[in-house]
Amino acid sequence: MVIINDLGFRYSEKVQPLFQELNCELSSGSIVGLLGKNGAGKTTLLKLMIGLLRPTEGTVRIMDQQPAEREPSLLQDMYFLPEEFHHPSVTIRQYAKANSGFYPRFDQELLKRLITDFELPENKRLNELSYGQKKKFLISFALSTKCRLLVLDEPTNGLDIPSKSIFRRVMAGSLDSDQLVIISTHQVRDVENLIDRVLMLEKGKFIMQKNIYEIASKLHFATTSSADGENILYREMVPGGYKVITPQTDGSSSVDIELLFNAISNGTEKMREYVK
Amino acid sequence: MSNNIFSRKRFLLLFKQHFIHNAQLLLLSTGAYVGVIFIVLSIAQIGIDLKPHGLENFQGFLIGFVTVFGILYVGHAFPAFRSKESTIHYLMIPASVLEKFTFEFVSRIGIILLTLPLLFWITFHVQGYVFSIFTEETFNAIGIQNLVLIDDVPPEYQLLIYSLVTGSILFALSLAFTGAAMFTKQPLVKSLFAVAMVVMFFVGYSYIVIEHLGVGRYNPPEHMWLIPLQEDNALKAVTVALFAGTAVMLFVAFRKLKEREV
Repeated sequence: MVIINDLGFRYSEKVQPLFQELNCELSSGSIVGLLGKNGAGKTTLLKLMIGLLRPTEGTVRIMDQQPAEREPSLLQDMYFLPEEFHHPSVTIRQYAKANSGFYPRFDQELLKRLITDFELPENKRLNELSYGQKKKFLISFALSTKCRLLVLDEPTNGLDIPSKSIFRRVMAGSLDSDQLVIISTHQVRDVENLIDRVLMLEKGKFIMQKNIYEIASKLHFATTSSADGENILYREMVPGGYKVITPQTDGSSSVDIELLFNAISNGTEKMREYVK
Repeated sequence: MSNNIFSRKRFLLLFKQHFIHNAQLLLLSTGAYVGVIFIVLSIAQIGIDLKPHGLENFQGFLIGFVTVFGILYVGHAFPAFRSKESTIHYLMIPASVLEKFTFEFVSRIGIILLTLPLLFWITFHVQGYVFSIFTEETFNAIGIQNLVLIDDVPPEYQLLIYSLVTGSILFALSLAFTGAAMFTKQPLVKSLFAVAMVVMFFVGYSYIVIEHLGVGRYNPPEHMWLIPLQEDNALKAVTVALFAGTAVMLFVAFRKLKEREV
């Protein structure tokens, strides 16, 4: 569904390129986590994917179309929820009435259900809602469009703790098999147990592109009282012991994405080689 | 496969979205426009010993109000471009560039040319009749055809004069429209500044060429291909230039919309 080929991008001729020779292929039916430190270029990459920016080199193709052309046939099948968003001064109901018609697969019933799940007031104007409530509404709207590509930039920013768990639940329960969701975040805990593929971005390159099951089959994540041992690929001190990553032997651990993220960005070359 | 160039359904959806999102603002703006006209006409009538406004005043105020409010409204076209967040929202709306451009053109220039004069005509009459209730004077209605009639134009010049006026209005509005597509912040002020700079450049250039380089002392022959010597030919040339300028402006605005990045 998303094919990125030798992508290069720079904001102007005078500055260093942000991306060089990025390659990636994402297929439908998955939730992809785009992870990276602040300033790694996650939002810029998302903008290149959806056509808000044009690549300086290489190509991006979404559903066999060039997103930078911004053709309606693609736009009606692609929804982008930015971290900072615009909203008119209308009620939730009016917003849905004004915008749902653009999306042929829009599911009104799903929107109603999500609004109820997030406990949003339908008759209040969007500008009267808190930042978190606005975000919850826009997440609900995004899911209800049933677009085949949903791109969410830092969707859990501003959500309270109960809303984060509702977010994970509705994400898992509202998607169809022909949809692809790309979630960009630096709050990796929020998308744990939700994403099934990880893209890790650092210094203009993907330092990791792996499915969660591939990672789980190669690496073992555990908490131990001591950090000694030959096999330890990465260790991190936590209260009461250490979190460690070792090569997988019995295939039984779940992936600790935050630990993996730290291990890849701060860990040894051996660790990086392991997940390359 | 759906039509990616122009779809009537999507075009109408843009109108629906616009009127739902901006209903409050449009009502307030209409109220402000009508209110200002009513107040200004009332003050002017008090200033002329409560004598009702006639056709001459009607035409003068019509041109003044439609020009000022029209340029203000058109100068704020593409309101989504005023912030990064709203630009993202606007560019991601599933409609083609042509649909978005045509919508903006129709909703700004098209509606302005119809709505503002009509609202002025209605308010002018309401104000006139309201004053006639409280005064001895009788208000005479002005025919709606006077919104477009130009007095004392010889029949052989009618087409030319109407074309010239239409061209001038469209050129002025398209300047403000294109400025709104080009500039993110303070588009109207920047557009007026840009126009002033261009005008000053050409005035200065013409002055130097005509006065100091001696072009003003050059006697051209009777028949020239490119320079119109008779008055009506000169007006025709200006009219053509105004329409051509409008077309160029609109093309620039279209390209700006198409190439916009965030």
